[in-house]
Amino acid sequence: MDKIVGLITANFSINELNIIAGDRTIASLPYGSRYRIIDFPLSNMVNSGIMTVGIITPYKYRSIIDHVGAGSEWSLDRKEEGLFILPGSVYGVNNSCERFMIRDFARNKIFFERSPAPYVIVAATNTVCNMDYSKLYEAHKESGADITMAYTTAHQDDKMVNCIHEDNGKVTNVTVGVKEGDKAFIDCFIINTSLLMDIVEWYAAVNFKDLFQIIEYDSGINVQTYKFDGYVRNIFNIETYFKSCMDPLNFSVHNELFTTDTPILTKEHDSIPSKYGDSCDVRNSLIPAGCKVSGTVEDSVLFRNVVIEPGAVVKNSIIMQNCVIKSGAVIENAIIDMKNTIQSGIVIKGTTDNIFIKEKNN
Amino acid sequence: MKKKKCIAMLLAGGQGSRLGALTKSIAKPAVSFGGKYRIIDFSLSNCANSSIDTVGVLTQYRPFILNSYISSGKAWNLNKRDGGIFVLPPYATEAGGEWYKGTADSIYQNLEFLNLYDSEYILILSGDHLYHMNYQYMLSEHIKNEAELTVSVIPVEWKEAPRFGIITADEDGRITKFSEKPKNPDSNLASMGIYIFNKKVLVDALIEDSKDENSDHDFGKNIIPKLLGENRRLFCYKFNGFWRDVGTIPEYYETSMSFLEPDPPFSLESKDFQVMSNSNVYPPQYIGRSAVLSQSYVANACRVLGDVEHSILSTGSYVGEGAKVINSILLPGARVEEGAVVNRSILGENSVVSKGVVLGDEDSEKDITVIGNDYVFKA
Repeated sequence: MDKIVGLITANFSINELNIIAGDRTIASLPYGSRYRIIDFPLSNMVNSGIMTVGIITPYKYRSIIDHVGAGSEWSLDRKEEGLFILPGSVYGVNNSCERFMIRDFARNKIFFERSPAPYVIVAATNTVCNMDYSKLYEAHKESGADITMAYTTAHQDDKMVNCIHEDNGKVTNVTVGVKEGDKAFIDCFIINTSLLMDIVEWYAAVNFKDLFQIIEYDSGINVQTYKFDGYVRNIFNIETYFKSCMDPLNFSVHNELFTTDTPILTKEHDSIPSKYGDSCDVRNSLIPAGCKVSGTVEDSVLFRNVVIEPGAVVKNSIIMQNCVIKSGAVIENAIIDMKNTIQSGIVIKGTTDNIFIKEKNN
Repeated sequence: MKKKKCIAMLLAGGQGSRLGALTKSIAKPAVSFGGKYRIIDFSLSNCANSSIDTVGVLTQYRPFILNSYISSGKAWNLNKRDGGIFVLPPYATEAGGEWYKGTADSIYQNLEFLNLYDSEYILILSGDHLYHMNYQYMLSEHIKNEAELTVSVIPVEWKEAPRFGIITADEDGRITKFSEKPKNPDSNLASMGIYIFNKKVLVDALIEDSKDENSDHDFGKNIIPKLLGENRRLFCYKFNGFWRDVGTIPEYYETSMSFLEPDPPFSLESKDFQVMSNSNVYPPQYIGRSAVLSQSYVANACRVLGDVEHSILSTGSYVGEGAKVINSILLPGARVEEGAVVNRSILGENSVVSKGVVLGDEDSEKDITVIGNDYVFKA
């Protein structure tokens, strides 16, 4: 395999998720009881043998830096190669939908120039999947394309997911919104480093644009696609976030995402095993270490250090870290964000179409 | 090399043969404990929590898992630039090589290491005990008493005393007598196998001991009695917390099970003594639709589809549909398959209890059933 540089564009944020993202971006949203979404692209890179990884940080970068640190959990604290924290464009990205703004590449030109790698794999942080990027590289090598975009076949209509349009085996343009059966871009692609550097120069005047906005005007760039067959979910709003969080309750999704061959890695904590009390009734739920469960938990996902007191009921909900659900409280179809205490007698009920959100308690 | 005030030497070479099947393939300090820990985590975490940042770990018996587990020491914040963790196995020289002949000999063979750091004090620890302790308090006592050796002691029940090395001390804590496993003890203060030596005293004693052909080269049997005989300043440091040498299967079982009590005598949750461990990143545990759980500890990556009552499920263990696990301990990766019943048992790492097998005896008078690591129990 040729050398490949990885780039994670972690500066993407979107209005629809502000209520839970708050001062975090999508990259640092909690996922799967103990992970954050950035763990997926970052672990995928390392598992695919990419040991030079740049992370383009958002304006509000505290939670991301806190989480990835020096990259030691991903073995990226290295003498050579390793993790590079890169600045992102402060201006113009907030709540715009661009994941791959040319300006972000331009600002970090030196990062690409210093590496001898002929290819860059770029992944956004709104995608949950366990993917071997070396397959994307192989497809790219074989077709001789300038850019190869990873896609999946859309299972349902989605107005936020980008749709790939092709003509004569080449991608012509990318539009927002997919219909069932379309080629849905999963926000991950490989590009020849020299071309990326050229694009940065050629399009300096319109560097606020997304990389995929310009391929429509530039028919000289040979863009191909690569189909990823595994589980993948793009997160753009509360509904897709909630669904995606619940997906690992399904055994096959769980197995695919958290396979031991290519583990999703994350910041480690010294949490003790979870303790289950006398009166607990737990069914079809994901629970990490550090919890104390004495109440009822069904079809739900808990995060670290959550306490479910005897007689508390949690159904079809996500309870984030350091929450306490007191006896007698009832929670259904809800996301309870970090550090909330739900007092006894409180009943919180959303519906499956309209998830109730209790915001983070700072 | 930056000079240290106190460094620790952790004895981790013992087999722990009384743990039977559990130590058949790994050293006792590496035996899994409390769902996600290994026994050595407790001593290493104590070092970290006591700001002791240089630790030599003496290994000998089946060291592979232990070595790979200790790794860089990062899990216990011991990956220091000046200091850190050092695994010290027996080695060969131009005169040949030999195994560590005893606890004292293992330190003697590593005098070079002691000289490298040239600390004023040497803390000797065992890697197979469970307790939370801040060694700095013991060190302050040692300095205050102007002692040459301080032995940490714990009061035990009188009837238990003949099992231990028993210390007799005067009012000021100065040790007057040391009796190894006495039949008629005159004190109930048991040595915990934790010593602080002035470096010079230790080095001189070890060199002399090495020349004695009749010596067992053991701290308890030889070094302490010898120093006592020379009328050196030996003091005891009384420890009043929880301390266990989980040397036997019943001790291992009872100590593990005590975690499930509402207010356990030894807690993993202590904020002052966080127990650190070198665990890989594992996904959350999944509790299935048909599972029934009560009074149990469950670690990450477990998959529980059956009944689990008053048990400890360690990292990555599995309880199949219709299976029952009662009053048992599943070590990492152990599998209880569909419909099997496990009662009062300890299942070794990656062992399997196949479909439909009934294992263990609920009669609390009977022995605990133990299955070794990787063993597959078929119907």
